[in-house]
Amino acid sequence: MGVIEEVLTIELPVGENFRIQRCRYKGEKSTKRISVVSGIHGDELEGQYVCFLLGQWLRENPDKICGIIDIYPAINSLGIDSITRSVPFYDVDLNRTFPGSKNDFLPAQIADGVVNVMRGSDLAIDIHSSNVFLREIPQVRIAKSQEKVLVPLANLLNIDFVWVHDAVTVLESTFAHAMNTIGTKTLVVEMGVGMRLGKTYGHQLLDGLLNIMAHEGILDIEPLEVRFPIQSHVGEVAYLNAACPGLFVPDMDHCQIIEKGSVVGHIVSALSGEVLDEVIAPIGGMLFTIRAYPIVYEGSLLGRIFGKTSGDAQ
Amino acid sequence: MKRFDIVTLESPNRAPLRIEGFLFGEENSEGPSVAIIGAMSGDHINQLYVASGLVDYLRAKEEEGKIVGRIFVIPAVNAYALNMGEKNWPLDKTDLNMMFPGYAQGETTQRIAARLFETLKGYDYGVILEGRRDQGMCLPYVKLIQSGYEDLESVKDLGMSFIYYRPYDPIETAMLQYNWQLWATKAFSIVFGKNGAIDQGSCDEVHTAIVRFLSKRGILDFQVFEGHTSNVIDPNRITLIKASRAGIFISKVHSGSHIKKGEVLGVILDALSGEKREKMISPCEGIVTCQYAHPLIFQNSIAFRIASIELCCQIDPKSN
Repeated sequence: MGVIEEVLTIELPVGENFRIQRCRYKGEKSTKRISVVSGIHGDELEGQYVCFLLGQWLRENPDKICGIIDIYPAINSLGIDSITRSVPFYDVDLNRTFPGSKNDFLPAQIADGVVNVMRGSDLAIDIHSSNVFLREIPQVRIAKSQEKVLVPLANLLNIDFVWVHDAVTVLESTFAHAMNTIGTKTLVVEMGVGMRLGKTYGHQLLDGLLNIMAHEGILDIEPLEVRFPIQSHVGEVAYLNAACPGLFVPDMDHCQIIEKGSVVGHIVSALSGEVLDEVIAPIGGMLFTIRAYPIVYEGSLLGRIFGKTSGDAQ
Repeated sequence: MKRFDIVTLESPNRAPLRIEGFLFGEENSEGPSVAIIGAMSGDHINQLYVASGLVDYLRAKEEEGKIVGRIFVIPAVNAYALNMGEKNWPLDKTDLNMMFPGYAQGETTQRIAARLFETLKGYDYGVILEGRRDQGMCLPYVKLIQSGYEDLESVKDLGMSFIYYRPYDPIETAMLQYNWQLWATKAFSIVFGKNGAIDQGSCDEVHTAIVRFLSKRGILDFQVFEGHTSNVIDPNRITLIKASRAGIFISKVHSGSHIKKGEVLGVILDALSGEKREKMISPCEGIVTCQYAHPLIFQNSIAFRIASIELCCQIDPKSN
């Protein structure tokens, strides 16, 4: 049975405390520690289901626990309970506030508290669900500077895709960057879509978590047979952006393998009944992101394809 | 004066977004040039008010033949948000001032930023009217980040009391001031007012400071009174007074107050029982530059910022 603790409380103005809770499962054979984190964005709920599944497994298998497993299902608890991506009241993206500060406004205090609570963890898995606009296959995103350390770990997570991207200075304000900077190897998982829950991806990531914990000696189980993710360095990512405003109607399913020139969907006018644009795949490959929210402006992201410029499907 | 659209963007259902600009002076003028940016957020009403007031003022000055250089004013970047009480871009909630230098092939707000930035390149000076990004209300001040390309001397011509001169945070590399500086415009921000309302005194002060700047930089042929000799301060000169408790916040001073050590700055009351939870005492002498501006305060929120010559306490260079 895990121990539920309030690890951060900040008094709110009217008869309530902001709180972050964790459930800790502690074995006796190892001091290795993993933090499983969800809900930094209040509209991303896939991680809550993964936390449930992991907690359920650990309750059923207490004898397998060697190290310390900390589960944090709801970092931005105000946001999660109010369908709000950012920190309510301040309207600030918590994942652009790290490492935070005790002497700053509430979001920065939360960020500072989160970093200090998790300081000393050997690993952290930060689970996101894209946002309400996009649906993603299970993937891990890694800054190029962290590639050597983190890609081998990501390959254990039973995800479909490892995306190594160039460093962007603004991402130095994220939880993952803050934790990697202080020595906690932190992976960012993106999967599913905001405000919704997909059971399949939850179970897929659970297997990945169990596998990585087996490899790290945190669980006394045999490593699982997991899928080996597609690696971004073997190809390229093509972005599909809307050429005009309207209603995006997809013609493809998520995670489909498509040919160059395929029709991914249409942008239509609800007012005139016209088809305004045909969205064509510029390369062949895997459609790993697809738009879930149909209203689009010029530039709205409709999808991402991972593949080769030659047009060959992966 | 020329009034024209810099950016237009069709919407699925609303009337198109138009970002309008007002140009004063001759386009091929050899005098110095300046661009002034008003409301980038939907709650930056003071910034909208000052920018539109400048348009009205400069129109009259142009008729008098007083414009020497070239002045470009954009009162509202995010009219969509202003028109519906949103802070950010209404569809995806992205902050336009976190999208610079923009990306012409990117997402919607990246495209808006790219088109806007394209028109802003090449100006000698860039003035960004900003509101606080938190619940604070401050004495109007200049925020100048140290990108390596900033120009402190020109900023002093505003004659404002405080120039907050500090290193930049990583997040600011996506903001207009940083990118504008990198593109060789002497850009700075003037931060003022309480978001969502009009603070007439602060707006008047900022309007006057900008007119003074235009005059001293040879862009406007018009004499104005001297302003302050600016105090250039870094984070180490700011003492933070935090709320140790949450509740109803009653301030006993106002921004700009000269306070003594031991003076009562404010109280925090239990929001349900009405009992006094905290009396906030100044640990030093100085000027209250900012104070929390919402009646409900959170635990550990910064209630007051005090600028002082002597270092006194609670120094945190990460906070601004």
